[in-house]
Amino acid sequence: MPNTTVSTRYSAAAQLFHWIIAALIVVQFSLAWSADDLPLGSRKLALLAWHKSFGMTILMLAVLRLLWRLRHTPPPLPADMSKLERALARSTHAALYALIFIMPLTGWLMSSAKNYSVSWFGLFTWPNLVGRNERAFELLRDTHDALSICLLSIAILHLLAALKHHFWNHDDVLVRMLPWTRSVKRS
Amino acid sequence: MDPLGEAVMRRARILRARGRAALSVTALTVAAALSVGAAFTGAGGDARAADAAPVHYAMVAAQSHLEFIGTQAGAPFTGVFHSFTANIDFAPDALAGSKFDVSITLASVDSGDKERDDTIRGTDVFDVAHYPTAHYVTHAITRTASGYSASGSLTLHGVTREVPVQFTFASAASGTKLVGSAQLKRLDFGVGQGDWKSTDAVKNEVKVAFTLVLSPAH
Repeated sequence: MPNTTVSTRYSAAAQLFHWIIAALIVVQFSLAWSADDLPLGSRKLALLAWHKSFGMTILMLAVLRLLWRLRHTPPPLPADMSKLERALARSTHAALYALIFIMPLTGWLMSSAKNYSVSWFGLFTWPNLVGRNERAFELLRDTHDALSICLLSIAILHLLAALKHHFWNHDDVLVRMLPWTRSVKRS
Repeated sequence: MDPLGEAVMRRARILRARGRAALSVTALTVAAALSVGAAFTGAGGDARAADAAPVHYAMVAAQSHLEFIGTQAGAPFTGVFHSFTANIDFAPDALAGSKFDVSITLASVDSGDKERDDTIRGTDVFDVAHYPTAHYVTHAITRTASGYSASGSLTLHGVTREVPVQFTFASAASGTKLVGSAQLKRLDFGVGQGDWKSTDAVKNEVKVAFTLVLSPAH
């Protein structure tokens, strides 16, 4: 009996990775937007120090999550989804996986290029990936900014899709990623 | 030859050999004594000369380097000063007369970010409009286990404080190098006013490190 539920729901580990990273991404946006308009000052530095520490946390979790994902098959998509919907779901998930690597990496690179090294909660400092380079910094900052809009759009699409599955299709696509719930077996 | 005669001759050879050995030992002893005496005389002469004359050096600006390492938001950051001058009077055996005199043009600060450099030059940090230079001059230099230690005073942001400097000195055919560092607390000098008085974002402790390439200037 328990074995059949494992295949239709996400495992506890998958849920943990998903929700911790999701929560950290929300924190990242609020920190970045709060710091954006501030002049260089202690408050901006403090906000960006948190942003960098959480960003590197996301990167480390992304590595673990990808390794974990490569050894575990996720539950299948509902059988009634069209080819287009499946392709859209797969590419959305792939893009989100890519972005949880690329966002921290471009952030780390832009910090390096501006000689603002990345500390992890003041416990240790990550090495600078590139030397000081103003032009590289500007390019990386613009990339980081543009990708953050991509991430925001895809995350909203992902959220709306989950809600659509739950309230429109009445399937368990949303619920199977929610802890402390039970998926209702259909079909 | 009779056996008695042979014995006498042998004895005589032994005595002559001993005599030569004794002469040699005496000669060696005298030579050693003379050279030790010469060494003492020489050392005395050196000390007298050194007391009078440390070497006066000018800094080779293009090869010399002065940097500071601060801690910002938990991570160290390094900045350099492009413009500074150093007048160094130094000889390892003439420490009493040795002296550093260093002037730093604070506006030449470069931390790899224009916004941060402008902030550092601004009124809340160095305030270069009012205090354009920092000045360091030594009072005394002493030998340590690994090199030398200088006591001296740093004038920065209108405040003068004692700042010890640790350094090594190496004179080779390729050039003379003075490499050293110092630790200071920026708030001792009032560097960091207003928002920057807090040590949460930028730590109080700042390390200064330098490599001076010197050329004799007399």
